[in-house]
Amino acid sequence: MKNNKSNLGKIVEFGIFVLPVIIFVTITIYIPFLLSSYYSLTEWNGVSRASHFIGFKNFSNILNDSDFKAASIFTLKYCILFVVLTNGIAIILAVILNKKLKGVKVLRAVFIIPYIFSLVVVGFIWKFIFSQGFAVLAKITGLGFFNWSWLGEPKLGFISILLVTIWQSIGFYIIIYIAGLQTVPDEMLEAATIDGAGTFQKFKKVTMPFLAPSITTCVFYALINSIKVFDVIISLTAGGPGGTTYSVTYDIYREAFQNNNYGYGTAKAMFLFVAVLIITAVQLKYFKGKEIEA
Amino acid sequence: MNPKKSRLLVIEMIMIVVALVFIYPIFLVFMNSFKTFSEVMSNVVALPKHITVANYYYVWKYINYPRLFINNIIITTLGVTGIIFFGALASYKLSRTTTRYSWMLFMFCITPILIPFQTIMITVVKVAKILHLSNSVLGLGIQYWGFGAPLAVFIYHGFIKGIPKEIEESAMIDGASPFKIFHSIIFPLLKPVTATIIIINVMWIWNDFLLPLLMVNDSNFTKTLTLAAYTFVGQYTTDWQYTMTAVVMAVFPSIIFFIVMQKNIVKGLTAGSVKG
Repeated sequence: MKNNKSNLGKIVEFGIFVLPVIIFVTITIYIPFLLSSYYSLTEWNGVSRASHFIGFKNFSNILNDSDFKAASIFTLKYCILFVVLTNGIAIILAVILNKKLKGVKVLRAVFIIPYIFSLVVVGFIWKFIFSQGFAVLAKITGLGFFNWSWLGEPKLGFISILLVTIWQSIGFYIIIYIAGLQTVPDEMLEAATIDGAGTFQKFKKVTMPFLAPSITTCVFYALINSIKVFDVIISLTAGGPGGTTYSVTYDIYREAFQNNNYGYGTAKAMFLFVAVLIITAVQLKYFKGKEIEA
Repeated sequence: MNPKKSRLLVIEMIMIVVALVFIYPIFLVFMNSFKTFSEVMSNVVALPKHITVANYYYVWKYINYPRLFINNIIITTLGVTGIIFFGALASYKLSRTTTRYSWMLFMFCITPILIPFQTIMITVVKVAKILHLSNSVLGLGIQYWGFGAPLAVFIYHGFIKGIPKEIEESAMIDGASPFKIFHSIIFPLLKPVTATIIIINVMWIWNDFLLPLLMVNDSNFTKTLTLAAYTFVGQYTTDWQYTMTAVVMAVFPSIIFFIVMQKNIVKGLTAGSVKG
C-alpha cells in the first residue's frame, strides 16, 4: 500500500516537471501539424468554416504547378550555392582569423555584426545599397559591375539574395569553424611542418580531420536555414523581378495568405516538410559516415 | 623582419580591407540616416554636411518607438523565461528518469526541431485564434514556449546527463523536496548552458519576423520593431532618409546587446552548435 502511494507520488511529481512542456509543444506544434496533415487533403479557403475533403488532389496538383516548380528550382539552386559558398568562405576566413594577427578580436567582431540583425532589416539595408549606393560607387570607382541592375534582372536578383544572406550569416559559421580549428593540436601541425608538409597538405591531412565535426554542424545549419529562406526575399526583392525569386516558403506563404488557398497551401507545406526530413537525414548520414572515416 | 612576420602583416592588411568592405554597407546606412532627402539623393557616399536628428525625431514619433521597444522586451522576456523555466524542469526529470516512457516523451519533445515553421504556420494561426493568443503581445510571448522548448530540452537533457547523481541523492536523504533540489542544486549547476540557451533564444525571438507577422501585425500597439520597420519601409519606399533611420532604430538595440554580451554570444553560439 505504502509502495503504491509513493509510486503515485512519483508519477505526479514527474507530471508536474514534464507536463508543461508536453502541453506547450502539443498546442503550438503537434496540433497544428496534425491539422495541416488533414487540411492538405481538403479544399479550404480559410474564411468559411467548411472544408471539402478532396483526397490527394492537392498533391497531384502540386506536380503540375509551374509556380511551385519554379520556386523549388530556385530554392534548390540557392541551397546548394549557399551551403557550398558559405562553408567555403567561412573556412578560409576562420583559418585566417585563427592566426596570431594583432587586430584579430576586432576583425572577428566585424564579421559577426550582421548576424545579430533581423533578416528583414538586412534586406532593406541592401536594397538601399544596391539601388542608391551602387550608382554612386560606379561613378566614383568606374567599375562596371556597380552599374548592373542587381535587383532588376532575374539572374542578378538571385545572386543578390545569395550575396546578402551569405553576408548576414557568415559570422556564425566563422565562429564555429574557429572553435573547430582550436581543437587541432599545435604539436601535430609543427610535426607536419618538420616532416616537410606544405600549407595545403597540412590543412588536408592534419586540420581537416579535426574540422570534420564542425563541417557536419555547419552544413546542417546552412542546409536547414537556406531551405527555409524567406525574410530576406520579402524585403529585398519581394519575389521580383518578374516573380523569379520566389522561394518555396514564400510560395507557401503567398498561396495561403495572399491567394487564400489554405488547403492547397498546407499541401505544399507538407511537401516541404517531407523534403526537409529526407535532406537532413541523408546529409547527417553522409557526413557522420565521413567523420568516422576521417 | 623575418619572412613569416611580414607574411602575417600582409594577411592582416588584406583582412582589414576585407573587413572594411564588409562593414561599409552598415556605415553607409548609419551615415545616411543623418542626412536630408536632397542630400541622400545628391550623394549617398558623402558625409552629411551638418548632422540632423530630424529623421530620428520623425520616425520615433511616427512608429511610436517606445511602445514597440516595450513590446519587444515583453515578448522576448516572456518567451525566453518560459523556455528556460519549463525547459529546464522537464529536461531534469526526463534525463533523471530512465524508463522507456521517459525516453519516448523526450523524443516527443525534441522531434519538432525537424518540423519547419512554414509547414505548420497556416494552422498555427488557426489554433492561436481559437485559444485567443493572436493579436496579443502576451499571447505571442507564450507561443514561443512551445516553439523554443524542443531545442532547449535537447541541449539541457544532454548537459544534465553529465551531472553526477550523488549531488542530489545526499540532499534527498536530508529530506529536501524535489522542487527544492531542482531550485537550489540543479538549476544553479545549469548556468553555463542556460546562458547559451538565453543567447540563442533572445537573438531568435527579438529578430523573428514570420510568427509576429502572422500574430501581431494588425495593430500598431502590438507590433514588434522588425514588423514596424517592415511596414514603415513599405510605406516610405523611396524616402531613404526615413527608411534608413527606421533601419538604424530597429538594429540599434541588437548592437547594444552585442557590445555588452559579445563574449557570451560567441561562447553561446559555439556551445549551442557543438551540442546541436
